[in-house]
Amino acid sequence: MDYLYDGSFDGLLTCIYHHYYREAATGIYPQSFYQPNLLSPSMVVETDPALADRVYRAIEEKISARALETVYHVYISSAPDKENLILGYIGLGFKMGAKVDHYHSHPAVYPVHRLERKVIGEAHRLLGLLRFADMGGFLYAVMAPDHNVLPLLGDHFAERLAGERWIIHDKKRSLAIIYNGRDSSSCKSPVRSRWYITDFSYNLEDNMPESERRWQRLWQTYFQKVSIESRYNPRLQSRCVPHRYRRYLVEFQIPAPGHDSETEDSRKRFPRTPSIPPHSG
Amino acid sequence: MDILAKLGILANAAKYDVSCASSGVSRKNQGGIGNSKSFGICHTWTSDGRCISLLKILLSNDCIYDCRYCVNRRSNDIPRASFTPRELAELTIQFYRRNYIEGLFLSTAVERSPDYTMEKMITVLRLLREDYEFNGYIHAKVIPGADPLLVYSAGLLADRMSVNIEQPTEESLRLLAPQKSLPKMFASMQQLKEEIQAHKEARRRFRHAPRFVPAGQSTQMIIGATPDSDLTILRTTQTLYQKFGLKRVYYSAYVPVNQDSHLPALTASPPLLREHRLYQSDWLMRFYHFKAEELVDPQHPNLETDIDPKMAWALRHPEFFPVEVNRASYEELLRVPGIGPKSARRIISQRRVAAVSVDQLKKLGVVFKRAQYFVTCKGVCPAKKTLDPAAIRRIVAPESPITQLSLF
Ligand code: SF4
Repeated sequence: MDYLYDGSFDGLLTCIYHHYYREAATGIYPQSFYQPNLLSPSMVVETDPALADRVYRAIEEKISARALETVYHVYISSAPDKENLILGYIGLGFKMGAKVDHYHSHPAVYPVHRLERKVIGEAHRLLGLLRFADMGGFLYAVMAPDHNVLPLLGDHFAERLAGERWIIHDKKRSLAIIYNGRDSSSCKSPVRSRWYITDFSYNLEDNMPESERRWQRLWQTYFQKVSIESRYNPRLQSRCVPHRYRRYLVEFQIPAPGHDSETEDSRKRFPRTPSIPPHSG
Repeated sequence: MDILAKLGILANAAKYDVSCASSGVSRKNQGGIGNSKSFGICHTWTSDGRCISLLKILLSNDCIYDCRYCVNRRSNDIPRASFTPRELAELTIQFYRRNYIEGLFLSTAVERSPDYTMEKMITVLRLLREDYEFNGYIHAKVIPGADPLLVYSAGLLADRMSVNIEQPTEESLRLLAPQKSLPKMFASMQQLKEEIQAHKEARRRFRHAPRFVPAGQSTQMIIGATPDSDLTILRTTQTLYQKFGLKRVYYSAYVPVNQDSHLPALTASPPLLREHRLYQSDWLMRFYHFKAEELVDPQHPNLETDIDPKMAWALRHPEFFPVEVNRASYEELLRVPGIGPKSARRIISQRRVAAVSVDQLKKLGVVFKRAQYFVTCKGVCPAKKTLDPAAIRRIVAPESPITQLSLF
């Protein structure tokens, strides 16, 4: 039986519950991308937070807290077969316990670890590659990562930019983290509770205030000036900053020479910038 | 002069300083802006492939000294600029909150006098730490010849400090930087080392004792401006690590900027491969338990260029191999070309649940191509041939065109 879920983490865990207590799954797939086939029957599984919670705790207690993190990291990856990798990994984990993570080269462990490294690697890369623009009242960053790493960025920036209000926008998935600044009530609460993820489809990029260009120009100048010509090595640069990330990097948007950006920019008049939606819990 | 023009001049003048590390300390945001992460974060990479983590910039390039290898030397006719402390602090904060940088690497030419210069640097650090409540990373240069008390004040504000020795011997330094002296620099390093230790101990006893250069000190040597051998350089490096507890030694392939009879011609290209081999050797000394004398010796005073130093060592020591992957200690595994700290740890971790076989080596992160000649797995030798150093050298030497690893 193929189990189909709604794409949520709880949904996935619910399927795993049914895999053990109802009927073994031949596969788990997100409902929205599923291609029905005649060979295996399929069933839509309704997400049940209570059942999901039991699986969540079983992984934590019978395997390890670290394994639970691994499962989550694989879940936010974009690998097409991630649900089945998780199923295999948990299966072995329930047999071996915490030791499962020592078995690096096992076919049920190796692809999971590798995928997790990719996800964590991308999140770590974005801690550096994200660029904020001061929109007048809040900071705004756009990205389009390979994996859904948004949840892994919140704590870092909530601590670093604690006194600012900011939005990190994942354009590919129309999601965003909203952080509403340090107010008196949230100051003592743990970082995690001070930001939240929400659907987000505004396009704020064109609303950048004029004053922001000055800082961007300073940064672009800096970026060009610190490069040493006699060490020019674009191949190495490409390995470090893959081209797909450059679209949102200020320093790679250098205006063509002779282009008078000053006068052109000041001709544009932007609509009022939308305000940050209020905290919705 | 406006900020943009100053930034252009003073960033350009700072670019030869290689250190960009922002790791080694964690600092929490205590109500202001910023924090520091112990693992270090790169924010972008320039077209020469070097990581930008910190805003690396000079406070001024208006120098009273005349070091031969330096663009900013007094006798050069170049545009001069200086930031005011406020301008530089504001620039740092504005870049930081946009996530362009991880912090500031503040260096400067010697303006008026070493003490005047050091004081001006301290003003920048004070503004950042006190006015802006900035908790991001700060690396500050020690100005050679500055009063130890000023160095001390700077150390209470910075995360890392560095005294650049520039040359591995007093002789070379005197030739190229007549106003600098190695013993004086060592004295500054000794001072930093002692204060770092004292503050660490104080903090063990009193939680609120101030921190002093918590990310430790580093230095830099210019490579290829003088005829010093790799043996001389690596011995100096080893001494620096052992004697002064340095966190990092950086090497900077000399980029000719001045016409000078004591220096390579302006047309000479920087010795990038040599610099790369030195970084690899440095890496081996810090993370692989190698000693300088194992990598170079008076008979072979320079590192080989066509194979990396670890492979070179392995080929000179066939008696050490093969290493049985299922029994070897961590240190022994680290001696195998193609096995690094990560794969060595994975091997040891997997051995707790299952023996490692040949076909699993790649999955454990071992570079099989290189390791195959030097290991056995459960007694099986993957290369199916006995170790013949000359033959292996022929196979591994024509390395793919040198791609520089990013070790910064
Ligand atoms: S003191 Fe520093 S800036 Fe001045 S000439 Fe020497 S190396 Fe250059």
